[in-house]
Amino acid sequence: MTARKSGSRLETEIERCRSEAQWDKIPELVRQLSAKLISNDDLGELLLGECKLQTYLKENPIKQGASPRGPRPKLVEVRKHLTAALDRGNLKADYIQEASLLMAKLCYVEGEYRDALDHYNRVNLDDMQLVGAPVYRLSMIAEAYATKGLCLEKVPASSPSLSNKNTGSPSSNRSTTEREQEIITCYEKSGDIALLYLQEAEKALSAGIQNRSPKPGPTAPDQELGYFLETGLQRAHVIHFKNGNLTQGVGRFREILRAVETRTTQNLRMTIARQLAEILLRGMCEQSYWSPLEDPPTVSPLDDPTRQGHTHSKNYSLSRRPRVYSGENLFCPQENTEEALLLLLISESMANRDAVLSRIPEHNNDRIISLQSASVVYDLLTIALGRRGQYEMLSECLERAMKFAFEEFHLWYQLALSLMAAGKSARAVKVLKECIRLKPDDPTIPLLAVKLCIGPLHWLDEGECFGKMVIDMGEKAAEFRAKGYLAIGLVYSLKATDASLRSTQEDYQRKALGAFQRAQSLSPTDHLAAFYLALQLAVSRQIPEALGYVRQALQLQGDDVHSLHLLALLLSAQKHYHDALNIIEMALSEYPENFNLLYTKVKLESMCRGPEEALLTCKHMLQIWKSFYNLTNPSDSGRGSSLLDRAIADRRQLNAMTLPDFSDPETGSVHATSIAASRVEQALSEVASSLQSSAPKHGPLHPWMTLAQIWLHAAEVYISMSKPAEASACTQEAANLFPTSHNVLYMKGQIAELRGNIDEAKRWYEEALSINPTHVKTMQRLGLILHQLQRYSLSEKVLRDAVQVNSTAHDVWNSLGEVLQAQGNAAAATECFLTALELEASSPILPFTIIPRAL
Amino acid sequence: MLAMDQGVVEDWLSEFKTLPDSAVFSYATSLKDKGALVPALYKVIRENYSDLLEPVCHQLFEFYRSGEPQLQRFTLQFLPELLWSLLSVSAARDPHTSGCIEALLLGIYNLEIVDKDGQSKVLSFTVPSLSKPSVYHEPSAIGSMALTEGALATHGLSRVVYSGPHLQRETFTAQNRFEVLTFLLLCYNAALSYMTATSLQSLCQLSSRVCICGYPRQQMRRYKGISTRLTVTSEFLVQLITGIHYALCNGEVELGSKALDDVLYRAQLELFPEALLVGNAIKSSLHSAALKSNNKEGARSIQVEITPTSSRISRNAVTSLSIRGHRWKRHDAVDLGSPDELMDISEVDEGVWPSGVGPDMTPPTITISNSVTTLNLGAKAMKKCRLSGRTSKDKDKEAGPLTAGRAASENTELAIKRLTLTTSQSVPKAGALTSLTRTASAVFSRSFEQVASNNAPPSSNHNASEAGRYSCSLQEEGLGYLSPTPNHTQRSPSISVHLGSDF
Repeated sequence: MTARKSGSRLETEIERCRSEAQWDKIPELVRQLSAKLISNDDLGELLLGECKLQTYLKENPIKQGASPRGPRPKLVEVRKHLTAALDRGNLKADYIQEASLLMAKLCYVEGEYRDALDHYNRVNLDDMQLVGAPVYRLSMIAEAYATKGLCLEKVPASSPSLSNKNTGSPSSNRSTTEREQEIITCYEKSGDIALLYLQEAEKALSAGIQNRSPKPGPTAPDQELGYFLETGLQRAHVIHFKNGNLTQGVGRFREILRAVETRTTQNLRMTIARQLAEILLRGMCEQSYWSPLEDPPTVSPLDDPTRQGHTHSKNYSLSRRPRVYSGENLFCPQENTEEALLLLLISESMANRDAVLSRIPEHNNDRIISLQSASVVYDLLTIALGRRGQYEMLSECLERAMKFAFEEFHLWYQLALSLMAAGKSARAVKVLKECIRLKPDDPTIPLLAVKLCIGPLHWLDEGECFGKMVIDMGEKAAEFRAKGYLAIGLVYSLKATDASLRSTQEDYQRKALGAFQRAQSLSPTDHLAAFYLALQLAVSRQIPEALGYVRQALQLQGDDVHSLHLLALLLSAQKHYHDALNIIEMALSEYPENFNLLYTKVKLESMCRGPEEALLTCKHMLQIWKSFYNLTNPSDSGRGSSLLDRAIADRRQLNAMTLPDFSDPETGSVHATSIAASRVEQALSEVASSLQSSAPKHGPLHPWMTLAQIWLHAAEVYISMSKPAEASACTQEAANLFPTSHNVLYMKGQIAELRGNIDEAKRWYEEALSINPTHVKTMQRLGLILHQLQRYSLSEKVLRDAVQVNSTAHDVWNSLGEVLQAQGNAAAATECFLTALELEASSPILPFTIIPRAL
Repeated sequence: MLAMDQGVVEDWLSEFKTLPDSAVFSYATSLKDKGALVPALYKVIRENYSDLLEPVCHQLFEFYRSGEPQLQRFTLQFLPELLWSLLSVSAARDPHTSGCIEALLLGIYNLEIVDKDGQSKVLSFTVPSLSKPSVYHEPSAIGSMALTEGALATHGLSRVVYSGPHLQRETFTAQNRFEVLTFLLLCYNAALSYMTATSLQSLCQLSSRVCICGYPRQQMRRYKGISTRLTVTSEFLVQLITGIHYALCNGEVELGSKALDDVLYRAQLELFPEALLVGNAIKSSLHSAALKSNNKEGARSIQVEITPTSSRISRNAVTSLSIRGHRWKRHDAVDLGSPDELMDISEVDEGVWPSGVGPDMTPPTITISNSVTTLNLGAKAMKKCRLSGRTSKDKDKEAGPLTAGRAASENTELAIKRLTLTTSQSVPKAGALTSLTRTASAVFSRSFEQVASNNAPPSSNHNASEAGRYSCSLQEEGLGYLSPTPNHTQRSPSISVHLGSDF
C-alpha cells in the first residue's frame, strides 16, 4: 500500500473491510484517512472504536445463555474512542447514529443494560434507513435490534421510563404483555434485517469476486454470524415456543425459511427446517394445519390455552425485507405431512452433503455429528412417509442414507424394513443379512428374512438357514423361539411340496411335522402353530389328528379364515360335505370377499346342492370381483384412473404369462416347476400393492387372475352339467385373459372330451403339458385318453409320472390301475386300486395345499 | 354408575334434541364447560351393559352427523374407548354384542368415506419434489439429486392417494373390521390437536391392550381384562403409532412410551415391517431428543433452543460436499500443480468447455503428480484425487443450454468447493469394477456412473487397469442417459490422479 488512495476509493475500501469484517485492516486505513483531512479524525475514532470492540468480541465471544457483566479493562480504550467521536459532534448524522449504536453495544457488553437502552432510545432505531444503506450498516442495525431485545429482557419491566412508547400507566399485566411484544418485535426485526444483510453481503461478495482479478484472492473466510445476529435470528421463535405460542413460532420459522438462503444461513436453515418438520409431525394434525401462505387461525389448539390472551400479532413493517423465494408455480404445501416432507427433503439434501466420509480416527467426532444430524432427519422422514404409506419412496431415501451407514445398525435395519414394506424382497433379504451381522442376537431379523424367503421369494434353502439361526439362539430367542420353529416347519413343508422324489417328500414332511409340534408345545396359545400343525397333518392325510389341532386353533382364534377353511376341507375329506359347506358358509359370513373360500364353496355346492347353486355362487363371485376392483382410484392419475384400467394396461404383458395353477396342489404356495409363473404372480402383486395400500392382500394376487379363475370354475361346473357350449364360453373368457395358461388349455381339453373329440382333447392336453409338464390333472386325463386309444405303455408312463409328482392323487392311481389291468398286470393293478381306494377315503374336495402357507 | 353421573348424561341427552339449528354452534362451544359430562360418558362406554349406552351412541352419532366440527370432535374424542369396547367384546365372543357401538362406528365410517356430494372420498397428498421450486427452496441450490427410477417417476409433483376410495359397510365382519377401524383412526389422527388428555390416554391404553392381550407381556403389564389374542393389521398399528407419537410429545410421556413399546413388541412378533419401521423411527428420534434436553419441561416436549449457525463439522474432514469439489472430468490429461490451482481451473472451465478432439484414440495416461508413491485411495486421498478425461464437442452442445443455467448459479458459489460437472459422460453402467472403482463407488454411492470401456487399457497401475473410465455425473445424470454416445468405447480413457499429501 504505497500509493495513497484517493478519498472515495479509501472510503470504499473502508466500507468493504467493515462489511467483510476484516477488522485487522482498519487501523492502517484510518491512518491513511486521517492523513488526508483533519476533519476525518472523528470518523477515525469511530472506526478505531468499532474495530477494537469487534476484535475484542471475536477473541472473547459471548456464549449463548451467558450474560456479560462488568467493565472490561480492554474495553476502556473502545469507550474512549467512541466518546471522542460522539462528543465533538463533527460527524455526519449517519456516523453519529453508528457511533451511538456501537456505544450501546459496548454498554451491553459491559452489562450496562439501561445505558444501552438509553442510547437506543436516543437514536430511534426505527428511523434508520434500510434502503440504500451500506451492507455493514444493515448488520449494525440488525445487531442493534437484537441487543435492544437482550437489554429489554434483562431490565425489569416495572421501570416505566425505559419503555419509550408506553408512557401511560396501564395495569402491570398489560404492561408485561406489551413489554413481551416489544421484545419479540425487536428480535423479529433484527432477524429480518440480519437475513437481508446476509443476502446483501453475499451479493456484494460475489460481485466483488467477479470484478476483481480472475484469480480470487484467498477465499473469503466463512462468514460467522456472531452472538448478536444469531440471537436476533433465533431468539424470537425461541420465546414463542417457550411461551407455548406454537402458531407464532411456526410463523416465524416459515418466515426465516422463505427467505432466500445464503451460505451463512445454510446451517440455520437446516436446523430450522428440521425443527419445523418435528413440530409439524409431533404437534400438529391435518385439522389444525394452515398452509405457509395462509394467515394462521385466530384460535388454535396448538397454543397454550392459559396464555391464549397473550398472542401477539406481527405489527411492524420494514422499509426493506429479505428476498423470499418467488416465481410462478411455486409449490406450497397444503397439509402438514406435505410440508414436513418438503422440509425434510431439503434438510436431507443438506445433511447428506455434510456426510463425513473419511474414516480416520481424527474425524470420529465429525462423523458422529454428521451421522446424528442425518439420522434425525431420516427418522422424521420415516415417520412422515410411513404415515402416508409411501414405502417405495422411503426406501429410496433411506438408500441415500447408506453413506452414513457403515456399522450403523439402525440405518441398515430401517433400510431393510423399508425395502420389505416396499415389496423389494430380494434386496431386503440382502440388507437383513447385514443387519444380522451387526446384531446377531436379535431373533426378529432372521425371522423377517424367513418371512420373505417363504413368501414372495420362495428361497427355501436361504429360508432354512435363517430359520436355523433363530432356533440356534435357543432360550435367548425367548418368545421368538416358537416362531423360529414355525418358520423352519413352513420351509420344510414347502420343500416337501416341491420335492419330486417320494422319499425326500416324506422326509421333509416328517421334519415339518416335528418343527410344528415343537412350535406348538413352545407356544400353546399361538393359533398359528396349532393351525400349521393341523395343516401338515392334513397334507399327510392324518385326518382325525388334523381335526383335533384345527379345533384347537379355532378355540384360540375363532375367526381365523385359514383355520375355518382347513376345517371345511377336513370335513370334506371325511365326506361330511354338508357340514363342510356349513362351515364354509359360516366363514363366508365373516369373510364375504374371500375368493379362496368361494372356490371351495362352488365345489361343495355342486356336490351337495347341485350345479345350479354352484353357478349362482360363480355369478356372485363375479359381482364381488367387480365391486372390489372397479372402484376408481385416481392415485396414479397419469397411468389410468382405476385398478382395472391399470390392469388393462398390464394385459399386454399378461398375455405372455401363464395363469398359475388354481385347483392344484401348487396353488397355495408355489411349486418348483411353476416358479416362473410365480415370479409373474409376484411381480403383479407388487404392481397391485404399490397401487394403494388398501389393495386386498389376501387371496389370489392379481385381479385378472382372480377373474380368470372364476371363469374356469364356472366352466368346470358347466362341464359337470354336460353343457359344453356354456363351458366353452366361460373358458373363452379366461382364455382372453390368459391364452397360454395350462389351466385354460386343460379346460379346453375337457370340453373337447365332453364333445367326444378325443383327438382334439389329446392335442389340448399335450399343449397344456408343454407349458406345465407337472400338471397332474392334465396328465391323468391324457393318460386316460391314451388308454382309450389303447396306447397302454405310453399311458402308463404318463400316469406313473403323475403319481411321482403327486402321490396322493387317488384318481391317478385309479387310472393307473386300469391301464395296468388292461395290460394284464393284475397284481400291480390291484395294488393301485387299493391305494386309490385308501387315498380316496381321505381325499378332500380341493387339495389342502390351496391354503396358503406364510409366516 | 353414580346417580349424579346418570343425571348429567340424561340431561345431555335431552338438551340437543330440542336445540334449534341456529344454536348449534354456541351449544358446541359450551360443551367444553360441562366438566362432569365427559367422564360420565366414558363410564357409560366402559360399562357395556348400561342402559344409557344405546342413547349415548345415538346421540354421539347425531353430533357427528351435524357436521359442526366441534361436535364431531366431541364424538371423536371417545373413539379409542369405543374401539376398545368393540374389540374386547368381539374377542371375548361375548353374546352381548355391542350392537350400538358397532352402529356408531360404522355410521362415522360411512359418513367419512364420502364427501359432501355423496361421492367416494379419496385422501391424497402431494409428494413434494426438490426438482420443483417451492416456497422454501430453489432447485438449483439443492445440487445433485440421485437419478433413480422412482425420482423419474415422480418427477414434478404427483398426487398420491393414501386412503380411499372405500366401500360402504353395513356390518362388521372379520374381513373388513380392521379396514374400517384403520380408517377411523385416520380420522381421529387428523384431529389429534383437538383431543383432550383423557382421550390420548385412552388411545395409549387401547394400543397397549390390543397389542399385548394373550401374550406373555400381559402379565408384565398386569392387565386383567380379556386374555385372548386380538388380530391386528400392520396398517392399524401404524395408525395407532401415529396417535401415540402425538401423545408422547404432548404430555403423555409415560403412557405413551409404554404403548409404543407394546406396539413394537407386537409388531416384532407379527413381523410387520411397516409398524416396525415407523415405531423404530419414533423411538430413535425421541431418544436423540431426550439426550439433547434432559429437562422435562411442562406438557409439550416441543422445545427449541438457539443453536450455533456455523457448521459443527471441522473443515478438513472429507464430506460429500467437499469431495464434490473435485471435478472428475474428462479433459486432456492436465497435470496440475497445487490443489488451489486445481480449483481455479475447474472454475474457469465452468462456462466454456474446451473443445474436444473427437473420437480419436488417445493412449491411456495415468499421471500421478506430487510424487506420491502409493495410490492410497482413502478418503483423504480422494479429496485430492482427480480424474480427468476428454469430452467431445458435439455432446457438449447437446448439454449446452442446461449447463449454462447451472453454471451461472454456480458462479456465485465459487468459493464453495462445489460440484462441477462433466456433462456428458455417463453411459449406462456396465462392466468390471476394480478396487478403485469400488472404493469410489462406495464413497459416492450413486453419485456417479461407472463406465467401463471394453478395451481396457494396458496400464502400469492395477488400480485403474480395468476401470476404464469414470465419469462423475452428479447433476447432469439425465443428460447422460439421454445422450449415450457410442464413440465412448472408441476412445481410451485417460485418467489423471492427483494425490496431495498436505491434507
